[in-house]
Amino acid sequence: MNRKPVQPSAAAKQKKKIANSARLAKLIIQRRTLVLLLVFGVATFLALFARAYDLTIRQHDQLQDGASSQQMSSTVISASRGAILDRNGVTLAVSASADTVFIDPNVIDKYANELDKKRAQKMVDGLKEGEKLPMSGQEYKDMLAIRLAEILSVDQEKIYENMERTNWRYAVIAKRVEKEVSDQVRSFINDNDTGAALQGVHLEADSKRYYPRSSLASHVIGFLDPDNHGAYGLEALYEDTLEGSSGLSVTAKEAGGSEIMFQYEQYYDAEEGHTIQTTIDSTIQYYLERGIADMVSQFGAKNGACGIVMDVKDAAILAIHSTPDYDLNAPREIYTEKLKSQLSAADEENPPEEGKEHSQAYWDLMGDLQNLQWRNKAVNDGYEPGSTFKTLTLAMALEEGVTGRNSSYYCGGSVTIENENIKCSNKNGHGSQTLKEAVGHSCNPAFIRMGLDVGRSRFYDYLEDFGLLTPTGVDLQGEGASVFASRKQFESHDIDLACYSFGQNFIVTPIQLIAAQSACINGGYLYQPYVVAKELDENGNVVRQHDSTPIRQVVSEETSAMVRECLEYVVTDGGGKNGQVTGYRVGGKTGTADKRGTKTAANPRGDVVVSFLAFAPADDPQIIMLLAMDTPARQEVTGVYTSGGNYVAPTASKILSDILPYLGIPAQYDEETLSAAEGTVPYVVGMSKDEAAAKLESYGFSAYRTVGDGETVTDQTPVGGAIVPTGAEVILYMGAEKSDQLCTVPNLVGLSADEANRALVNAGLILKATGASGSGVKVISQSMESGAEVTAGSVVTVQMGQMTNIDEGAGIG
Amino acid sequence: MAPKKSRPIKTRNGIPLTRDEYRQLKKQKEREDRRRRQEAWEAARGPMDLPFLLLAMMLLAVGLIMLLSASFPSAQSSANLKNDALYYFKRQTAFAGLGVFVMWWVSKINYERFRGLARLALAGSIFLLILVIIPGPNKYGRLLALGENGAARWLGFPGTSFTFQPSEVAKLGLIVYFAESISQKREKMKSFKEGFLPHIILLVVMTVLTLIEPHFSGALLILGIGAAMMVVGGIHWGWVAAGSGALGLMGYLLYFTEIIDKFFHAINYNATRLQVWRDPFGGDLAFRRDDAWQTIQSLYAIGSGGLLGVGLGKSRQKFGYLPEAQNDYIFAIVLEELGLVGGTLIMVLFALLIIRGYWLAIHARDRFGSLLIVGVTTQIALQSFLNIAVVTNFMPSTGISLPFFSSGGTALLIQLVEVGIVLSVSRQIPAPKAR
Repeated sequence: MNRKPVQPSAAAKQKKKIANSARLAKLIIQRRTLVLLLVFGVATFLALFARAYDLTIRQHDQLQDGASSQQMSSTVISASRGAILDRNGVTLAVSASADTVFIDPNVIDKYANELDKKRAQKMVDGLKEGEKLPMSGQEYKDMLAIRLAEILSVDQEKIYENMERTNWRYAVIAKRVEKEVSDQVRSFINDNDTGAALQGVHLEADSKRYYPRSSLASHVIGFLDPDNHGAYGLEALYEDTLEGSSGLSVTAKEAGGSEIMFQYEQYYDAEEGHTIQTTIDSTIQYYLERGIADMVSQFGAKNGACGIVMDVKDAAILAIHSTPDYDLNAPREIYTEKLKSQLSAADEENPPEEGKEHSQAYWDLMGDLQNLQWRNKAVNDGYEPGSTFKTLTLAMALEEGVTGRNSSYYCGGSVTIENENIKCSNKNGHGSQTLKEAVGHSCNPAFIRMGLDVGRSRFYDYLEDFGLLTPTGVDLQGEGASVFASRKQFESHDIDLACYSFGQNFIVTPIQLIAAQSACINGGYLYQPYVVAKELDENGNVVRQHDSTPIRQVVSEETSAMVRECLEYVVTDGGGKNGQVTGYRVGGKTGTADKRGTKTAANPRGDVVVSFLAFAPADDPQIIMLLAMDTPARQEVTGVYTSGGNYVAPTASKILSDILPYLGIPAQYDEETLSAAEGTVPYVVGMSKDEAAAKLESYGFSAYRTVGDGETVTDQTPVGGAIVPTGAEVILYMGAEKSDQLCTVPNLVGLSADEANRALVNAGLILKATGASGSGVKVISQSMESGAEVTAGSVVTVQMGQMTNIDEGAGIG
Repeated sequence: MAPKKSRPIKTRNGIPLTRDEYRQLKKQKEREDRRRRQEAWEAARGPMDLPFLLLAMMLLAVGLIMLLSASFPSAQSSANLKNDALYYFKRQTAFAGLGVFVMWWVSKINYERFRGLARLALAGSIFLLILVIIPGPNKYGRLLALGENGAARWLGFPGTSFTFQPSEVAKLGLIVYFAESISQKREKMKSFKEGFLPHIILLVVMTVLTLIEPHFSGALLILGIGAAMMVVGGIHWGWVAAGSGALGLMGYLLYFTEIIDKFFHAINYNATRLQVWRDPFGGDLAFRRDDAWQTIQSLYAIGSGGLLGVGLGKSRQKFGYLPEAQNDYIFAIVLEELGLVGGTLIMVLFALLIIRGYWLAIHARDRFGSLLIVGVTTQIALQSFLNIAVVTNFMPSTGISLPFFSSGGTALLIQLVEVGIVLSVSRQIPAPKAR
């Protein structure tokens, strides 16, 4: 067969067409799949990545905060508050754990309803053998109210009231109860009539502040507010240090509220509060407080008194006190009897309204009295110092070289400055006097002379240098400011200078003044006073140490030595004799300052502030003390001429006679005062009379007498080992019975030392005299009241002093 | 004429064949058949695609680990599950084991055989979709459907606790049928009448049936998969452009206007999820606590993750805060625990799986194979994208599970069957010719 020219058959054509179409279709699929690949494999994931990046990185913080705030429940771990110690480590303030008891009224209500339901169910179901009907909801509430009220000594009413607030979750029943009480609550929660742990009664760990020495150094230490934050004093001033920082335990919780797992727990340690060690010496503080309290009660100081004992060498405050004071453990209660009676008088004058406990006047007065008893006059308030300021005038004049040991001053009883007549305390004038005598007399015209010689400008410079124009910066709360004329005003005339010279017409705080006075006697160095010496961590390591802060040298060592000499003269021979302390060299300066604006028709002489500056030992001062008493009763009441020398110096002497031996400063006795030196009575029983006498002699006891006529000593008074003044007469019983009768203390006030000794020996007692010595010195107080019955051989301490009529303060005109 | 082309005849040129001749012919035919089968067998015995298999298995393994982490808090606190912390994990692992076995078995089958199943699969799918929406007396108002979270989308095997969603099955049915149908149409797909219309009608029917359940996300996926396969199959570009345009317009209206909200209100459909999507933290407390809760919790979880995450197993949001943490919102836990880095790594695994899938589609032996893979891959791509987009509030929330991760046994089983199909197709990819 002939084949025709090759023509694709229809079938082949068809086949080819299909193959072509299939190839095309496959190509389309491949191309479009590639597009899908790019869209779904790349583009969408890039978009998702961008979105995820936005959420996880850019919005991370914000979203995490949101998440955390719902997931985390945190519990505050409170840091225990640091203690406050005195310089020897005696605890003045300390925190102990306590518990706050609160109820959850919401839960209690729900649980009560549940109990009711169960009870109803049981009633329907019937009880099994020996089974008890469950408690009703009301019974449960009653049980809580009765038992909690009993344990916590609160009103049942209060508990019922709180239980009725069923939408509350937290109602405090008792704040900060002590551990033994909270333990009772704990055992009640776990062991009660319901047979299960109580629902809705909770304890919350808290802490309570204790002040073991109650009112001691109350103005320094201060107290806490109801939330346990410092409210006043060091507690407030050193709040950050004492408080520490509370820790936090953060746990993750499920949406339902229960904790998830330990692994989510984060624990931020509480940083325990640091303890602060103060410069206060609680023993010295005690002596100061006791002395001031006696002085105030003796002289009826209307506005109280204050005192500071300071270390001369670095201005560390050893004791500081102000009256009225308060009990640190109950700072809001009125503490002193005097103020309490004022308060109750307020209610009597304004009878309280029906149903109320106290009148509004009572609460108003209460607030005023609280502020009054919290006030630390030694730091918060200024006063016109009067003559104790003359210390500074003296130092300035010496430093400027305008006066000296050989300078002499004439006093005619008054001096006229710019038409103002300024009187001296001695209206007849002191006549011609040496520098020492002028200081001893506290002679106003002499000091005015010195001030004028220093000159207005230089005088003002010294005020600045002594730090009187600015607060000292002592770390006590609310330091007051001084009030002085401006330099321009001061330099424009002489009258201010004249008055300033004897300490009137301006106001300083006692703390400013004592710091400046300290500079006058310690070699001329002004230090910043301070009360916090150290900051200790919870292990007792010193974290921060406060070193003394010298500010500047104001006067020279020589000037300072001369000031010391002059001030010692004041105590030995001048107006401050009552400040003498047997066995010690004491320097001092009295002050009686008129209070401005207190002169009225009824009170023609006006009120005064009497004060006394003392330091010891005079040749090498260790401590300095300033006592001031505001508005004491006048001479007409006390029978003693109103002056710092009469009113305050004896107290200063008494306090110093306690402090100085306590500080270990050795007493030095001369012949005159030797009998006051103390010795230990040797044990001489069983010896012959001569042997006993020799032994006593070797121990410093020269006076003895015998009772009975035996050969050997059968008993002795005082007993062996007793510490008594060596001047005491030892009684040796030679076979005679020792009387066990009590001796009656005689009245010694007003007697001379010899007379007092005789009276006591007659009574079978031993005299210990402290204070001033010399002619004219009399007993001004005694340690045991007359008429008291005491055992034979007891030591009666008497304060010797001399009440003079020298008024060393004087106002203008 | 090649004898193999002739039909089995009993006559030749009108002359009946002798018995011998017939036997000879028959033998010849049998040999031919055997050879063909052998060829097909040989082709189906090619190596399966290792990268695709590895990626799928890695995702499955990571998915199981994350499911364990995400599910234990809710399982532990569920009294229904007897507080068994491992409940979801054990169940999912069992299904995964079964699924991997089925996947291996499916991958051994010559996929060409699925052509024959195409119509049956479609019919079965539509049957199931109808079955689930037949109204009836049960508490969901249906005859047979079982519900979860208020929507009746499930069917159960009587007497067992196994349930499945017809929409899951329908996706597979759709993929197989469309692959078969579109591969037959060849370039006729371009025509409206022959290519576009029949497929779109079918697609709309299935979508609407799914919407009636109601199962919005399932309908969305069916529509998406079908549309993608039609696009790949070669419908006119105009339709593609129109579809993309409609999608864009929809997105614009959704985000920038409230027209869609109003539409939803009009048909009584809750539109708050659109509000939530636009500003989950806005609105009042009740809104944040109720409507926006899940979205907010998801964002909290993701935000908490940061760069490196809070650590595997250490999610806090799974403890009762994030609902469905083991399910649709598992990826939020992934981002919380593993952070942006871990989350991105998993997203990269998904992306690589998808890219590899499409790559296999491009290289498949024939159009049917290509389209099967395109369907399966598109399903994985759409689900993973939509899921992560919802979890990150990139899109309004709708219940789409994350393949290989979300808890759900039958869904996982079907996904692994689909992986098996892809692997089956991959076996017949001709080896690149050596040059």
